[in-house]
Amino acid sequence: MISVAVSLGILARHIGLNPHQSLAISIFSASILGTLFFWDFRLGFAFIGTTVLLLTRTIDLDNLIKFSSLEVILFLVGMMVLVGLLKDTGFFAWIVSLILQIKNLTANRFLILISLISALLACAIDEVTSIIFIVAAILEICDYFEVSPTPFLIISVLATNIGSSGTALGNPIGILIAAKSGLSFEDFIIKAFPLMLGCLVIMIIIVKFWYRRSLLELDRKIRDFGANDMLINLISIPPEKELKISLAIFGATLFFISIHHRLELLWNLEPNTILLSMPLLSSGCVMIWKWRRARDYIEKDVEWWTLLFFMLLFAQAGTLKYTGTTDVLAKKIVGLAGNSLPILIGIVLWVSAIGSSILDNVVLVAAFIPVIQSFQALNLNLQPLWWALLFGGCFGGNITIVGSTANIVALGILEKEKNIHITFFRWFWVGLLVGTVTTCIVWLVLVFSPFYK
Amino acid sequence: MKVGEIATKDVVSVRPDESVKEALGLLFKIQISGLPVIDGDGRLVGMFTEKEILSYLLPSYVERVGRFIYDQNPKAIKKKFAELSKLKVSQLMRKDIVTTTEDTALCEVARVMLTQKARRLPVLDKTGKVLGIIARSDVLKAISKEASINTGE
Repeated sequence: MISVAVSLGILARHIGLNPHQSLAISIFSASILGTLFFWDFRLGFAFIGTTVLLLTRTIDLDNLIKFSSLEVILFLVGMMVLVGLLKDTGFFAWIVSLILQIKNLTANRFLILISLISALLACAIDEVTSIIFIVAAILEICDYFEVSPTPFLIISVLATNIGSSGTALGNPIGILIAAKSGLSFEDFIIKAFPLMLGCLVIMIIIVKFWYRRSLLELDRKIRDFGANDMLINLISIPPEKELKISLAIFGATLFFISIHHRLELLWNLEPNTILLSMPLLSSGCVMIWKWRRARDYIEKDVEWWTLLFFMLLFAQAGTLKYTGTTDVLAKKIVGLAGNSLPILIGIVLWVSAIGSSILDNVVLVAAFIPVIQSFQALNLNLQPLWWALLFGGCFGGNITIVGSTANIVALGILEKEKNIHITFFRWFWVGLLVGTVTTCIVWLVLVFSPFYK
Repeated sequence: MKVGEIATKDVVSVRPDESVKEALGLLFKIQISGLPVIDGDGRLVGMFTEKEILSYLLPSYVERVGRFIYDQNPKAIKKKFAELSKLKVSQLMRKDIVTTTEDTALCEVARVMLTQKARRLPVLDKTGKVLGIIARSDVLKAISKEASINTGE
């Protein structure tokens, strides 16, 4: 791995980048390769790589801290504390029980319900947390009706990845793009959310055909088994009062986040101030309300391992911009695209889709952001490019079995509970179909619709 | 007092290739919550306890979904319990086990039990052969015995 990274650096030097730029590329690609092949060691590599950048004067301390995007990290910390609270007060159990309690279940209703709930949950909460609950509900229901849970699990994961593109909250890449692009949450709601819903509908149509046999079998079993009373009474939730309060806090947070742009204009605040600090406010209040659990929320519900990696990854990506590496790359890419915006959109969209099917999508987006920022210097309209990055990064996660953390978590649970092992290709065919169709739709919309310019 | 003086020497154990159902039956019969798993060569290969079985029966996600209450037993439990007769002890047992030796001091065993959250420790000799087993209750009884000797009660 080190040899690949070093040779990439040497190659960069050959094509005319100066030593600092080549080093930045080497270190960054080492990080990317690290996440690909040495997942468990990635944080160690990130620590060491960043130190190398500092010691070689490729970047200085001030800029390192600036590029590490602490405001995004704190946002994620705040949201994770809120999610911890929701877990504690039984919010997710409530969602699961809602699913379990549908009367007059049919395979069609089940399909649409899990797709919708997966997508909407993924909009508001990180995909890993939301997928665990949906998977729990699916496993219980499929157990009861004695059908294989695999098709429904795959469908819910596909819906989760699609749904996570709908808002700036759904995926860390959403908030990253929001923070760096100047797009507000409202922009996401107006432009990304409808497109996400459209692609969700297309996905539902595709899987209805792809899994038609499984759906028919579920219908047959539902008829045979009759009413699902046992499911309806399976679980209940702890005291409702706490749940209502935590829902109110979460709802208020979402509300203020969605109008952050207007409030910032009203109160003359720096852009994104309210977006990035709302979760801090809410989680701060939560930690005072639940002061006995506050430490647990911070220590157990906040994913420090992942967040630290993100911090250093962002810093390394920022170094690419700082050293001018991405300016050079950006110019070359624009040249390749012949200065045509539709082709450029296509490049960003498809490279990020294919990239995020192999790599972690945060790594990919972190790499692309400085490149797109460099495009700005070349006087291009950037907005459709940011959307291309968002949708490519999210939808690409559907293509392969390792494309997104949600896939890995869901299939891990399936394997552990039911001993069902899904092969790479079983996923790949349906994932490729859904992934490419939805990405094509986004491409067409971004290129031809004036709404996205 | 040292471990060697308090540990139970006649160790009941299960073999790794026994069926889980049989091993569970043994746990019920002698009314113990866990047994060491010893292979044909007398080597300790794992611990088989009630905790591992419960962990297997309940879905793995119960720890990650936050608070909820089971009002009824999910259907899967019965099926999983039935599967226990097909499973071997080696598939369910805990493989990283904390052990102790005969010369270990009493308080050291207590410290290990607390920090490693282990209720019973197999006592091994230098070659790794199982000599006995010491449980939390044994440690407590020994400590109270020593304390009463010292205060002359």
